[in-house]
Amino acid sequence: MAEPILEVDNLTKSFGGLTAVNEVSFQVRPREIVGLIGPNGAGKTTLFNVVSGYYAPSRGRVLFHGKDISGKTPYALAGRGIGRTFQVVKPFPGLSVLENVIIASFLRHPKKARAEEHAWKVLEFTGLADRAHQSAASLTLAGRKRLEIGKALALEPTFLLLDEVVAGLNPTEVDHTIDLILKLRDQGITILIVEHIMRVIMRISDRLVVLNFGQKIAEGTPAEVAKDPGVVEAYLGGEKG
Amino acid sequence: MKDRRLPGYLLVFVAMLLVPAVVHDTFLLRVFTEAVMWIGLAVTFDVLAGYTGYLNFGHSAFFGIGAYTTAILMVRAGWPFAPAAALGGAAAGLGALIAGFPTLRLRGAYFAIATWALARAIQQGVLMMGITGGPDGMRLPALLSPGFFYYVMLGVVGVTFFAYWFLLERAPFGLKLKAIREDEQGAKALGLNPTRLKIQAFVLSAVPTGIIGGVFAYWVTFIDPASTLGDLVSDQALVMVVFGGMGTLVGPVIGAVLIFAFKTVFWAYLSDYEVLYLIILGGVIAASVVFLPDGVLGVLPQRRKGVKDHG
Repeated sequence: MAEPILEVDNLTKSFGGLTAVNEVSFQVRPREIVGLIGPNGAGKTTLFNVVSGYYAPSRGRVLFHGKDISGKTPYALAGRGIGRTFQVVKPFPGLSVLENVIIASFLRHPKKARAEEHAWKVLEFTGLADRAHQSAASLTLAGRKRLEIGKALALEPTFLLLDEVVAGLNPTEVDHTIDLILKLRDQGITILIVEHIMRVIMRISDRLVVLNFGQKIAEGTPAEVAKDPGVVEAYLGGEKG
Repeated sequence: MKDRRLPGYLLVFVAMLLVPAVVHDTFLLRVFTEAVMWIGLAVTFDVLAGYTGYLNFGHSAFFGIGAYTTAILMVRAGWPFAPAAALGGAAAGLGALIAGFPTLRLRGAYFAIATWALARAIQQGVLMMGITGGPDGMRLPALLSPGFFYYVMLGVVGVTFFAYWFLLERAPFGLKLKAIREDEQGAKALGLNPTRLKIQAFVLSAVPTGIIGGVFAYWVTFIDPASTLGDLVSDQALVMVVFGGMGTLVGPVIGAVLIFAFKTVFWAYLSDYEVLYLIILGGVIAASVVFLPDGVLGVLPQRRKGVKDHG
């Protein structure tokens, strides 16, 4: 079995008295798509923020390619190959779509002309090229989610954290985004994805990690997890109602 | 990605080089010199305010540090003007480096308050020190050459402008600063180190401001804490930048010229109504914030934001 690319080891993150993530461990192996699911407030986004360097863990470690990255800054982790999107998208609204992606491209292409060239490739790939000169603020929600993915991709990451990139899109847009994610995996990018829409997460994930109240309650293939009584009770049961 | 505006900038600069050949009136040349100075102060203010999104109400501190460093070196140590003014710029840059670490962690109004308070602290410090002459200020050796000062001021401001043009409009640096202005947390995920970039911007804003302060000190031959470290420099620069157009290079220049021209004309012809000056200025600023959010520059036709055409 291949060495894990990401190893979350006994990770705990608390805010004052609230333990948002409680002794969670799991691994992500190269070229996998791992889905992180759980009810609202289960700690998914907090976990993302720890892995991407926005929060330092209270206890436990995060290993990336076998090296401890706990507490490293987000920009250092971007340099090491971790790209992320935000659930609440973070476009640079006053700048053009192209400029948004150029800024991300500077990480691997410090020269402006090269960065712009690279940004155009990313825009073609994500289907935003025709809106390159529009301001990012003028994009639709689907466009902004796409831009969010585009910016993360422009970092040329080996590992991508996607936080609800599908939620709020219409069915056609959902299919486009799924195609995009599968294409990324085929290019060799490993993906950890948080998503609420079960239809999507069940379809694209190789494995699922289920959180509830900050703790891991299940892990396995989508089929295994769907049959897990604990998961059904905590989560799917309520959803399917 | 050719910038078609560069020839225009160079043309204006050459035209300004010719001003002393046409303007022989000493008073008028002083007016032009001061106009150039305000262009410099507005452009340097905008690096932080417009590009990076941080309103620095302590901009006057850099100006004053430059002025006092130059004065002390010339008067107390017998240095010639040029190295003294250069060190004035370095001192202002060092000040920005030191002040930047604690203050640039703050956002919005808190940064404005902290920098304002820091500038007041420096002003009080200078008032109490012996080496600065305290409230009596300092008198510098007089050099009666209006042409010299015009060219020195224009040289410093011109070099600053073109250096800024390269760094902020051509090089990646300007876009990186704008990313911080637009969304600091989002910028981090893209590999940008906001603290480092903000400190660089702060120093980039401070160094020319300090040199301009040094030129000012030698030019007017007398400085005191109120004239160099008071609120005026920060306030006026802010007004010029907001009125002209924030986050651009040309906006502050236009704002500085218009506001300074208004001030000069007002004081020359309407000084009986001086009480009205600040009222009118305040009204103009309030109106421009409401009706011209992008400044005067924003109402000019054919302005395209962002990167030029592809290829």
